[in-house]
Amino acid sequence: MDFSIQILNGLNYILVLILVAMGLVIIFGLMRVINMAHGEFFLLGAYTVVMTDHAGLGFWPGLFIAPVVVGIIGMIIEYLCIRHLYQRFLDTILATWGLSIAIKQLVIVIFGPAGLMIKPPLPQLVSFMGIEYPAYRLFIMAVALMTIGLTFYVFLRTDFGLGARAVIANRDMAAVLGINTRKMYRTTFTFGSALAGLAGAVMAPLMSCDPQMGLGFFIPAFLAILVGGTGTLAGVLVGGGAVGGADSLISFIYSPVISQIVVFSLVIIVIRIRPQGLLGSRGRG
Amino acid sequence: MLVFALFPLTGNDYLTVQLTQYIVYGIFAMSLSLVWGYAGILCFGHAIFFGIGAYVMALITKGMIPGFSGFITSGWIGLLLAVGAAAFFAFFLGYFLFYGRLSGPYLGIVTLALSVIAERVAVNWYYIGGFNGLTEIPALAFFGWEIRGIRILFYFVLAVALCVYLLCDWLARSPFGTILAAIRDNETRAEFFGFNSANYKIATFSIGASVAGLAGALFATVTEFVSPTILGFGFSTEVLIWVALGGKEVLVASFLGAVVVRMLEAFLSDILAYYWIMILGVFFVVCVMFFPRGIFGSLLSER
Repeated sequence: MDFSIQILNGLNYILVLILVAMGLVIIFGLMRVINMAHGEFFLLGAYTVVMTDHAGLGFWPGLFIAPVVVGIIGMIIEYLCIRHLYQRFLDTILATWGLSIAIKQLVIVIFGPAGLMIKPPLPQLVSFMGIEYPAYRLFIMAVALMTIGLTFYVFLRTDFGLGARAVIANRDMAAVLGINTRKMYRTTFTFGSALAGLAGAVMAPLMSCDPQMGLGFFIPAFLAILVGGTGTLAGVLVGGGAVGGADSLISFIYSPVISQIVVFSLVIIVIRIRPQGLLGSRGRG
Repeated sequence: MLVFALFPLTGNDYLTVQLTQYIVYGIFAMSLSLVWGYAGILCFGHAIFFGIGAYVMALITKGMIPGFSGFITSGWIGLLLAVGAAAFFAFFLGYFLFYGRLSGPYLGIVTLALSVIAERVAVNWYYIGGFNGLTEIPALAFFGWEIRGIRILFYFVLAVALCVYLLCDWLARSPFGTILAAIRDNETRAEFFGFNSANYKIATFSIGASVAGLAGALFATVTEFVSPTILGFGFSTEVLIWVALGGKEVLVASFLGAVVVRMLEAFLSDILAYYWIMILGVFFVVCVMFFPRGIFGSLLSER
């Protein structure tokens, strides 16, 4: 196995992980809501693609529909459930968790528990720098990079982003200054869900889509944001890079199972030593 | 309790066996209630301790731990060591986590990750049965007289449940329990009164874990079977749901939550099949939103 291909695969994983983690971190940073159903949003994104593929529309329409569908589902969930729980932090964990169980089971009811495959949308290989690499994986990296860049742009350069960062820094003060936090929460939750949906959609052709796949991304993504620190967006990049990179490296050297055990343990130790994350500063709990 | 005690007299052996298992789950639920409802530690990996208890029990009674043979492989030693091992592990874990000031979501995610690790380890560790788990775990013996009869086992488990209830209830009513409530409601304030909240949390965590270990050991003898699923994420989820639905701040409510949910599951999962878990999930969300104290918890505390 060629080492440079492994590096590219690792990079691929890191970028998708960052995409998932970014949705989580803006929801957590802004709303102080831990969205345990985030993995299921990823799942829904992947199954949207599966649906369009099986309906004969192919992969590409699914890629565009998935974030929209998942975003709308996120908005509905925010409206029906999360909205009522903003003052009760721990209860949001439980409620979104209940949702995640229900959504996962709904998927099982509709599609069955077995894994589903879809046709590879870009089967050809691209050769560059002396190696052959699947074009589709390069496409994923491009999509992930673009989305990450766009998210950073929105949060660092637009009025909405300024307001959002104000809410992250000091929610009460932001509300006093006339920022409509309610509306901001809804937008954020929708946007975060859509990011997870997009991540699920782009990953669908690479993995076999089964109802448990959400958890496989949720836990590493969450560990990534804890490692990186929840206060800043840049923390996600560091955390995603650290968790994803370590995972790819160790699973290349040993096996995916050992890598998961080792990486999770390491992350727990990191979180224990620096609860504020690698990039975070003390001050906010 | 009285209703439970009379149950085997109906003569339905199958249901008695099932109910014995549910009572074991009830004991497990009470241990989580103590940790979560009374001390406010949200643990997403409580099944780890249950699983440790079950595996230790299985390994000891099957004589699979090197150096343990003869008298020491009896079920009672197994029970004792199961409780001890779970408590010991929880003590170290608690020491590691609570002195790091991990709380709330951080603790939740860390314990979640731990339960995934535990399941992975158990699945890939072939000596303890790997994916298939361990079977043919011997029954408890009392002076050479095996507790194997369906009813005897039922009453034995029920008696243990009662003891656990009384112990936990006593603990919750003691000064120790009052301090726990203070830490749960406002940790900073409790610390200003001079209580080392980390120590109290570690103690409660260990006690809760030892009860969970006891439940796990009982589970191993009752079902004569352990497998990695009882260590893992899914089972941790289930117990949280039982306790949340029942009512985490009331021990009896948690116990009833576990027993009733399992009973409903046994009856309804035939009819509803896959829909059952979905309905349970939605019901759980509704319960969290509108009955934060749980269904039985709300009923019992109104009296």
